[in-house]
Amino acid sequence: MQIRILKPGLLSTIQDMGRYQYLSQAVPVCGAMDTLSARIANKAIGNEDNAAVIEFTYADAEFISETDLLIAYAGDGAILKSGEQELPCDRPLFIPSGTFIKLTNNPSGCRTYLAIAGGWDVPEILGSRSTFLIAGFGGMDGRVIKKGDTLKNGTLASVSTQKIFESLNYGKVNYPEWSIPRQLLLPADRRAIRVVPANEFDWFNGRSTADFLSTPYIIGHQSNRMGYHLEGAVLHRVKHHELLSTAVTPGTIQVTGNGSLVLLMADCQTTGGYPRIAQVAAVDLPLCGQLKPGDALNFKEIGPREAEMLYIEREQHLQQLTTAVQTKYL
Amino acid sequence: MQEEVSQIYYLSEVAVTVEFGQQIAENLLTAVNNLNLLLYERPFPGFKTTVPAYATLTVFYDPILVIKSNLSGTGSFEKVSGYLNDLKLQSNTTKAVKGDVVTIPVCYDLDFGPDLTEVASVHQMSTAEVIKLHSAGAYKIYMMGFMPGFAYLGGMDVQLITPRKATPRKSVPAGAVGIAGQQTGIYPLETPGGWQIIGQTPLRLFDVNRDQPSLLKAGDTVIFKPIDVYTFNELAAG
Repeated sequence: MQIRILKPGLLSTIQDMGRYQYLSQAVPVCGAMDTLSARIANKAIGNEDNAAVIEFTYADAEFISETDLLIAYAGDGAILKSGEQELPCDRPLFIPSGTFIKLTNNPSGCRTYLAIAGGWDVPEILGSRSTFLIAGFGGMDGRVIKKGDTLKNGTLASVSTQKIFESLNYGKVNYPEWSIPRQLLLPADRRAIRVVPANEFDWFNGRSTADFLSTPYIIGHQSNRMGYHLEGAVLHRVKHHELLSTAVTPGTIQVTGNGSLVLLMADCQTTGGYPRIAQVAAVDLPLCGQLKPGDALNFKEIGPREAEMLYIEREQHLQQLTTAVQTKYL
Repeated sequence: MQEEVSQIYYLSEVAVTVEFGQQIAENLLTAVNNLNLLLYERPFPGFKTTVPAYATLTVFYDPILVIKSNLSGTGSFEKVSGYLNDLKLQSNTTKAVKGDVVTIPVCYDLDFGPDLTEVASVHQMSTAEVIKLHSAGAYKIYMMGFMPGFAYLGGMDVQLITPRKATPRKSVPAGAVGIAGQQTGIYPLETPGGWQIIGQTPLRLFDVNRDQPSLLKAGDTVIFKPIDVYTFNELAAG
């Protein structure tokens, strides 16, 4: 299976679930900003969660199928269309060779994930297919996807993937009635981000921590895959000593020297020296991956045990979805 | 080591941090590295990887596998921190494991060290004296961070302490050797940067095609060896 990129869009890269083996050599995690959507796109066509996907930022991208395709997409950055026909998300799509597909505006989010049967075929670098643009490795030769690129799928498709493909292959755009109920996995309020207080939480005065947990913050324009600047109440410290640089991770919220907040995202450095006020709950980090400059969010405190219970519940739920897709195509 | 305030704290659902103290000191580096080595010898179920830093060792794991394991405690944080606490007691905190000594050839020619004269004039010394002081040191690697393959080095001669450049450069080449405040370091990748650049190494500090992509690791010692332009070009050509 193969596509050719006609318009690459604002920022399109190959990503997977990230690169964890070389953190000690200061190699960042990278990977999908909204891992939940990337996993759902993969699950919809019987792929492993970690199969490489294309991460599109906003709409305005176009590609053509150069062979018959089995693809799926998920996320809130765009709606895929073939001509005027809207292609539904969160489910497998059979696309015949020679079909033009464009990504059209979806105001509800920022990023869209396109999965293909067997995953996109790029070499695994340091245990991952994720693109790390700053160092120029991973994905498509370490760069963004460009006009004219052709992308192929990997050849090792699962039995479910092959059966899904066969069930939909009738020579025209085709998809099943079912979809993966992604909305059921998301909280009702997607702008209430749950956080666990971090180790330096009590370095800030009571007024500041109360502000942090009660007033809205706006995603700043200086925001990218490394992190988001958050505009809102400035935090004041009661402990003024320096923090020695130590490990940070996507979801860590640092407080810079002037008291403003930075939420670290997928491409963040492995270590940091700013005090940390909180850590975004793993289940809510994918929601942050859909936020765009100007969006408002609130932080809601939970404990570490609750964060872990939510994590386990989420993973169990996702495992059930994999089984459900497999069971449909026994 | 007993007098240091040490604790284990939650970083995320998938990581805990063991903190040995709160300053830059060789005994803390030793404690971090020794626990790191011991953990790789005796990993727990679900263990994934570590990030050593100045005075902390952060341990990443798969919470699902940790919870399924028979480690004692409720929840993955309790199970992992219990295990690490036991391991810490068994870890020798005083005997330093000898890291590798890595010699980095550096061309301190003005073409490669555009800020050499500025650094020299700040300290009212000759460029030759700057080179001599910089290449005389043995620099301990305290931690890796900032960008792939970047080492935080300790032990620069205090006579070389120089503030960062007032205006950062848009691009500093890979291999550039610089000074920023009391730190010296090597840029592994081409990047914008504000360090005073005094030389350049032809070695690749980070290469994804190597078995260990980073040339340097925490606990190693770095020595800078001055080379001329001819040798630089020879080495750069491989």
